[in-house]
Amino acid sequence: MANITDKRSISSKIGLFFTYLVLFAFTLLALYPLVWLFLNSFKTTTEFQLNRLGFPKKWTTLNYSYAWVKGHFPTMIMNSVIYTGITTVMTLIFSFMGGFAFAKIKNKATPILYGSFVIGLLLTLQSIMVPLFLMANWMHLYNTRLGILIPYIGIAMPMGIYLGTEYIKSIPNALVESARIDGATYFRIFHSIIVPMAAPVGTTVAILTVTGTWNEFMLINILTSKESLKSLPVGVQKFASALSSDFGKQFASLVIGLIPMLAFYGAFHKEITKGVSAGAVKG
Amino acid sequence: MLVLPGFLIYFMVLAFPTVVSILLSVSNFKGGQLFGGKNPWKIVGFYKYKVLFRDPYFYMALKNNMWIVLISVFGQIPLGFILAYILYRGIVKAADFFQSMIFMPSVISTVVIGILWSAFFSPRGAYPELIKLFKPDYVYQGSVNHPMIPVLFVILWMYTGNYLIIFIANLQKIDSSVIEAAKIDGASEMQALRYIILPALSGVIVTSAILAISGSLKSFDLIYVMTAGGPAHQTSVLSVYMYDKAFINAPDYPMANAISTVMIVISFALIGLTKLAEKKFGGRE
Repeated sequence: MANITDKRSISSKIGLFFTYLVLFAFTLLALYPLVWLFLNSFKTTTEFQLNRLGFPKKWTTLNYSYAWVKGHFPTMIMNSVIYTGITTVMTLIFSFMGGFAFAKIKNKATPILYGSFVIGLLLTLQSIMVPLFLMANWMHLYNTRLGILIPYIGIAMPMGIYLGTEYIKSIPNALVESARIDGATYFRIFHSIIVPMAAPVGTTVAILTVTGTWNEFMLINILTSKESLKSLPVGVQKFASALSSDFGKQFASLVIGLIPMLAFYGAFHKEITKGVSAGAVKG
Repeated sequence: MLVLPGFLIYFMVLAFPTVVSILLSVSNFKGGQLFGGKNPWKIVGFYKYKVLFRDPYFYMALKNNMWIVLISVFGQIPLGFILAYILYRGIVKAADFFQSMIFMPSVISTVVIGILWSAFFSPRGAYPELIKLFKPDYVYQGSVNHPMIPVLFVILWMYTGNYLIIFIANLQKIDSSVIEAAKIDGASEMQALRYIILPALSGVIVTSAILAISGSLKSFDLIYVMTAGGPAHQTSVLSVYMYDKAFINAPDYPMANAISTVMIVISFALIGLTKLAEKKFGGRE
């Protein structure tokens, strides 16, 4: 009997060891490239060529000061903050409004309208890229902030409306109805009942919009050619690809591009993971 | 009334352009003003599609897209599931730490990831050096023979964490007392997995598959940044090919829109197939 338990505990110990090994391997895989990038951004390019894997022998921040100024990163970061901020706020407002209407004030058109948003979840950006570009030109919105913001808000809309509607549906009808009977206007109901109660889904929508908009690259790349309107990802791409072999400076620009999102992840990682799983419940 | 502003923007940005895109794909539009311009365009039929279906580069891009779909559905999802399962069963300590580390690549900008990895895999990057640590006589050939392999690897690296999170969230919804009860009745870990957990997750697995499929067809940023479809179209995917047609050299808008229409059709077809597969094999919720 003792023999059997012994065997079992040994095999489970080996199992445990392998489980840890797998997890550590994946963690290492996730971290190593980032650490490598970070270390090398402090090397001069000459040192990098001689010593590609190790720690820098002489830490230099020259790469950063060069990239910061030459890459126009202060402007790019500012632009990214503006685009992400406005898109997120507008998406939140519109999703709550739309969600409220779809969930609580139904009429004949509701299923069709709501259905058209849900289909939007499956549409791909590529399919609208060319028309959007042509329309932006036609409406003279090419190379303007507005011309970037409108598509951004529109793209975030289906997910926002979908999550908003599904969540607001779970708020009891009785609440809305009794407020109605007491003479509250829809605006007042929206303002004092729906918005506070739907705050949790608001966080999810906000998180998904922020990560999506901040990292967006393709649309802004075609909707603007002005240096002063570009966002951080576009800036990093432009700067880094112009320096294809000057790894030190290139890496410094990548780290600059990396840090805002990592900080955001560090601050909100619980909410972000919740948002990702909530966003996946569709389908 | 409340829906109106969101609705207007949505239609302007998504629904209307989709229709325009399909129309353009069968037109003779040559650039210039979209509406009321000097050269009005008209519908000329499916000519562009005929050209497209004879284009060898189109099939190259399509094949690469299919590779990405395969690696997403049969790589990311199983890996994500296994990792999620390990963390969920509480076999190891510090599950939160592992979870946040493995998910981290998903939040980083694709542009940064693309450039980072192309530097990593470049002949002057870290990858050849790392191999040399194990095989001193290794001579790096570059990835000329299989240029898609690094791309696929990065896709796996980036998105596995996403599915890990999705699976963990849904595993946590399963009533753990059911599993404990099964254990007490003598079920092994594998049996619990097979008869309790997998059936309970079948819906999520299908959803993940749909996400993976539509995500893989969309993939643009990463490849555009890493390889821009090169060398010689070998890593091109439909979206990059479309971008080339529309914005590089002489724009061929109808052709670009024909490609994007084909992409939509393929994605709906694959999603339909997934749903069919679910009906046939799953549906025991």
